[in-house]
Amino acid sequence: MVHVSDAIVAPWLMGFGWVLSAGLLAYGLAKMNMEDIPKLSVITAAVFVASLIHFQVGPTSVHLVLNGFAGVTLGVLSVPCLVVSIIMQCFLFQHGGVTTIGLNALNMGAPALIAFLIFRTGMGLNFDFQRKEVLFGSLAGGIAVALSVMMLAVELLITGSEFTEVTTFVVFAHIPVIIIEAIFTGVMAGFFAKVKPDMLCI
Amino acid sequence: MLEIDQYSGLSSPIHRWDPRLKIVSIFVLIFSIMLLYDLILVVITMCFAIMLVFLSKIPISFILSRLKWVFIFVLPFLIILPFTFLGGGIAIANLGSITLYYRGIEYVVYALLIMIKALTAVMLIFPMIGTSRIDITIKALEGLHLPNKLIQMFAFTYRYIFVLSDEFTNMEHSLKSRGYRNRASLFSLTSISKAIAMLLVKSYERADRVFYAMRSKGYTGTVTTLHEFTLRPQDWVNMIIVIGFAIFIHIAAISSTMEVL
Repeated sequence: MVHVSDAIVAPWLMGFGWVLSAGLLAYGLAKMNMEDIPKLSVITAAVFVASLIHFQVGPTSVHLVLNGFAGVTLGVLSVPCLVVSIIMQCFLFQHGGVTTIGLNALNMGAPALIAFLIFRTGMGLNFDFQRKEVLFGSLAGGIAVALSVMMLAVELLITGSEFTEVTTFVVFAHIPVIIIEAIFTGVMAGFFAKVKPDMLCI
Repeated sequence: MLEIDQYSGLSSPIHRWDPRLKIVSIFVLIFSIMLLYDLILVVITMCFAIMLVFLSKIPISFILSRLKWVFIFVLPFLIILPFTFLGGGIAIANLGSITLYYRGIEYVVYALLIMIKALTAVMLIFPMIGTSRIDITIKALEGLHLPNKLIQMFAFTYRYIFVLSDEFTNMEHSLKSRGYRNRASLFSLTSISKAIAMLLVKSYERADRVFYAMRSKGYTGTVTTLHEFTLRPQDWVNMIIVIGFAIFIHIAAISSTMEVL
């Protein structure tokens, strides 16, 4: 549901999404080495598989977004990861839209980068707390989804005032997703910090 | 469940079309329908899309089962859009202190427009991607000069999707055999998160080993298949038909707005 389908938002917004996400993607690809491909592909596949798990909420269904998780594990490289995952969701699973790939990538990618910044700043803070990665991982995971939903809501409202009711509905449907992803990303970050610190991007 | 290319072995004009031109042409068609705001022209484009799907010989039942997800996303718009709580239409129901308004037929048309356009765009994915094998589609993307790193990510991610979903099913079985049951509780969520984390660590190490094995055997990042692309005149004719239709429908849209003026 966080993905905008074709034909809903205004065409200029779609163009805006394509331009901005292409810029972010070019930056991400420039930062990427060939050796990053295995890690990136595994995380991308995980984000993709997670998005296939649907929860029924009212008349529609929501699914996990995991962009905060991508941000925490991949840092700047989370943008190519999310772009690939969105393109694959669109073409392999018919989820989201073709013309809105740019906008969806922006909605997922920008919050992922913010989640990465939150996590890295948090881990750099010097205070006495045993499980910092759990705390900041869950903060990053929750905030990333919340930001994605907010961006979607703003885009719908810009498109037209007739979307007010739909927007309210979409925002409320995602509250459980925000909570689930906050816990999920926190647990993941804690686990990776103990078992395989390479997986985290600090 | 994910094999979009499971009908790529059939033989049809769309299957024989060069994948590079096919992807570009249908992409243009999808964008062209998004910029249409006239119900009749949208329906005509949908008929053209249905014709392409029909030509591609992909079973309709397969396409319908996939269109279900688009429908689920668009359905709330179709239901909610014609009604409002904010006023500005005919009051039709009273729910306590809130009044439900019906906005009128133009909003029903608008909602229908959204639904038909979204369904058509997704329907066109099947002739576009479903008529060639995924490795050939990925090679076609290379032929279209997409960034090489992006193409490699497509290729690797596509493989790991199947590895991960198999491993995920295995993990579910082993959790179940140890008496784990999925409940809506913090304990369930943290246990399943830890199990998935372990699965990712395992997959990551495996992917790393596979990648280094590939590198040491001379993998440089270029897509290598036995299939070679050759452009025939028929490929260009197909492209002219599809892109020509996309342009024609816009000329029709412009001329109809001119008449109104």
